[in-house]
Amino acid sequence: MDHLTKLENESIFILRQAYSSIKNIAMLWSLGKDSNVMVWLAFKAFLGKIPFPLVHVDTKKKFKEMYAFRDKYEKLWNLNLILGDCPPISKIDPSLPPAARSAARKTEGLKKILNEKKFKGIIAGIRRDEQNTRAKERFFSPRDETGKWDVKNQPAELWNSFNTEYPSNVHLRIHPLLSWTEIDIWRYIKRENIPIVDLYFAQNGKRYRSLGDKDITKPVESNASTLDEIIKELQNTKTSERSGRLMDKEEENIFEKLRSKGYM
Amino acid sequence: MNFKQNSEDTLRVIIVGHVDHGKSTLIGKLLSDLNQIQEEKINDIKKICKTRGLKFEWAFLLDALKTERDQGITIDTTQIFFRSDRRNYVFIDAPGHKEFLKNMITGATSAQLAILIIDGLEGIQEQTKRHVFLLSLLGIKDVIVVINKMDLINYDKNKFADLEAQISKYLKSINIKITAIIPISAWNGDNIVRKKTLRWYKGKVLLEVLDQFKDNAVDHGMPLRFVVQDIYKISEKRILVGRVESGKLKKKSKYVISPSNTKVSIKSFEIWPKSTKNEYVTGECIGLELNEKIFVEKGNVLSEITRSPSLTNTFEARIFWFSNQRLRINKKYKIKINTTDYEIIFSKIKKIINIDDLTEKKNDDVEKNNVADVLIDSESILCIDNFELVNNTGKFSVIDQFEVVGGGVVKSASKSELIDSHIRINENVKSEDFFVNEIDRVLKVGHRPGILWLTGLSGSGKSTIAKEVEKKLFLKGYNIFSLDGDNLRQGLNRDLDFMPESRVENIRRTAEVASLFVSAGFIVLISLISPYKVDRNKARAIRPEVFKEIFIKASIEECEKRDVKGLYAKARSGRIKNFTGITAPYEEPNKPELIIDTEKNGILECSKMLEKFVEKEFGKK
Ligand SMILES: Nc1nc2c(ncn2[C@@H]2O[C@H](COP(=O)(O)OP(=O)(O)O)[C@@H](O)[C@H]2O)c(=O)[nH]1
Repeated sequence: MDHLTKLENESIFILRQAYSSIKNIAMLWSLGKDSNVMVWLAFKAFLGKIPFPLVHVDTKKKFKEMYAFRDKYEKLWNLNLILGDCPPISKIDPSLPPAARSAARKTEGLKKILNEKKFKGIIAGIRRDEQNTRAKERFFSPRDETGKWDVKNQPAELWNSFNTEYPSNVHLRIHPLLSWTEIDIWRYIKRENIPIVDLYFAQNGKRYRSLGDKDITKPVESNASTLDEIIKELQNTKTSERSGRLMDKEEENIFEKLRSKGYM
Repeated sequence: MNFKQNSEDTLRVIIVGHVDHGKSTLIGKLLSDLNQIQEEKINDIKKICKTRGLKFEWAFLLDALKTERDQGITIDTTQIFFRSDRRNYVFIDAPGHKEFLKNMITGATSAQLAILIIDGLEGIQEQTKRHVFLLSLLGIKDVIVVINKMDLINYDKNKFADLEAQISKYLKSINIKITAIIPISAWNGDNIVRKKTLRWYKGKVLLEVLDQFKDNAVDHGMPLRFVVQDIYKISEKRILVGRVESGKLKKKSKYVISPSNTKVSIKSFEIWPKSTKNEYVTGECIGLELNEKIFVEKGNVLSEITRSPSLTNTFEARIFWFSNQRLRINKKYKIKINTTDYEIIFSKIKKIINIDDLTEKKNDDVEKNNVADVLIDSESILCIDNFELVNNTGKFSVIDQFEVVGGGVVKSASKSELIDSHIRINENVKSEDFFVNEIDRVLKVGHRPGILWLTGLSGSGKSTIAKEVEKKLFLKGYNIFSLDGDNLRQGLNRDLDFMPESRVENIRRTAEVASLFVSAGFIVLISLISPYKVDRNKARAIRPEVFKEIFIKASIEECEKRDVKGLYAKARSGRIKNFTGITAPYEEPNKPELIIDTEKNGILECSKMLEKFVEKEFGKK
């Protein structure tokens, strides 16, 4: 079996296992390339109809192209979409550096919708190769009501056997894309012909490699304007995917700090 | 040798070894020699080392958490992605500290190959052995050994040969195959990607060995195991979704579903957007619709008719334990195997291997970081395999309340004592022969069919309890029927006497009748002395998935005292021959699903117990 098919099967297995063992579950749809791949995998896992809601935690600061994309595919894909909102920036810990503080808004938005809807499982499209602390994640990762990630005492995850039994104040973050790398995602998008926002393709010498909020995401220099060109570019690049994300550079451990408080 | 680039292929490698023997340095150097570390990361590391007043340490590349950096230890496994010209790699860096054993094992369970690193100066240390021992237990059979820090021992041939001999001997003793042993200096980058000229070493460098490694876990000729993960109802179709864990699944073949032992065939494969193949192989997650409308649940296994998994509720396993609480005999735990949870107890500890020093002990407690051979009893029937035969259906994790406390592999799932090993195809539920089938009946009455096999001495109370429960549940709308041994002997079994052979036949016929009732959707209560274990086990094997053995317990003295039918008196005076308990033996069940003690409890209480049990096991959820 080829590499992409192996990854695809692992993700489908995880999605099905999550759905069969956790009652109230939802999937985060950030409108980015990874979460579109994840939605696509959910179609495969559940044979054409996703049996749980998709959640978009809206910071209201996304690019307009992203909102247009959301509206189009909500209908086309017949999604059960729930929108969550985020508190104003003034409500967020002022001791955080500016971009990180902005990112922390999303965490609060997520916690809010979790509490409202009482979700016991949230499926999120993070990957190990994105960031050092994400490299340590589990496929099924428990969080208490504050969203705290107890990284020093993560549950054992043996083979493909995932523990889903936790006290009632705990919810699980499920990560079906954990084993994928950035280039895998692009190759799969190409193989399966999965739609994505145009911002990923270069225009006037710049493109977005990763899409976050408008004010804290910057495009990278690139002339890659097709899927093939993007894949080729990634084969040779030495800069990291999140280099356009400002928050990563603000402090040595900023990512760990945010994640331990519930960031994705 | 010349290899074609195959960027599609990915090898997952775990790297283990004693603390400070150079794991991080090896990974860092490998990546940097392959030109695959982002510049910003190197700069990050320089900055971090500088603020801490250290020389350049590759460990900072991998240890992502602040505590890890500050304390200089790896707490949790991390995974590093890179590629050579030949293929993609995922390197799994596992923590060396023994407190983090569960993290090391978590990392190891996803690896195909291991690199063992040994410091040439310090030689083989405690964790060197411990780690490879666990790898072997987890089924990783191939290891590349690198002897590191050769620069500190002047690339000395004899020291290398010494270590080579020692580690080879040990790895051989635990059944691990050495792919290569390579002298390296991680710090200098010798024999990792770049060859170091040594007069005495003419072998390959690490990267070559990695690139040329072929995962021999071939699936050719393996028995089919398709484990049902869930059942979806999509527009009138009942679709079984699951993963092929071993072998191949073909459209045309006949299969059997365990544990119900029902013969089935595939109507269609259900894949989104559409199925394009007639055959699916190990690792593929698929959906399928069966031609037969039968009862299937999560955790059921589809296999070839002649090569089905073991059906058992007792088996031997080798487990590893990482809870701070010691394992408790006869306490209820859960195991997760084949996508499902099962309640189990550990009924016996056979031996303990202390992985710190690899000594073996008998009759002791299983504590944190122990490996042990144990006997496991489950409440329900499991469809499992010996780990050595079929990996994926022979491994499990152990859960205590909310915590994964350990895991293990099935050592021996032979069930000769419990269930007849030859598979029995249940012809009664083939839907092509019948208009109405089992599943329709179940849906109509709203409960599942089952067999309650009440065994116990004459006069222990079997029939009385059965009649009471039959009445109660009938009034609650259950399809329930009581089959009494005495009554059967007046009709169907009139030709049988009480000699051992006839008792066997008596039981066989009764069980077959019960099986027919089950196909008709009934819950059957059987009251039959059935004194021999082996016969009761044969009865169980006819419908293992719904069979419940109920031991109606009362002492022989008590039964003789009751002597409702005057039989004991007759037996004592010799007027009845081969009377159970007096002139013929009664073998008590080892592990009945339920024990009802009629000496300690009144008849109403006893009936209530059975009634509750039936509702729990077969009633509407
Ligand atoms: N001289 C020398 N030092 C090494 C070599 N490999 C690692 N070291 C040093 O040994 C120490 C422990 O190495 P590290 O990679 O952190 O070990 P780990 O705990 O196994 O990850 C560090 O100070 C390294 O710089 C080597 O080949 N030669």
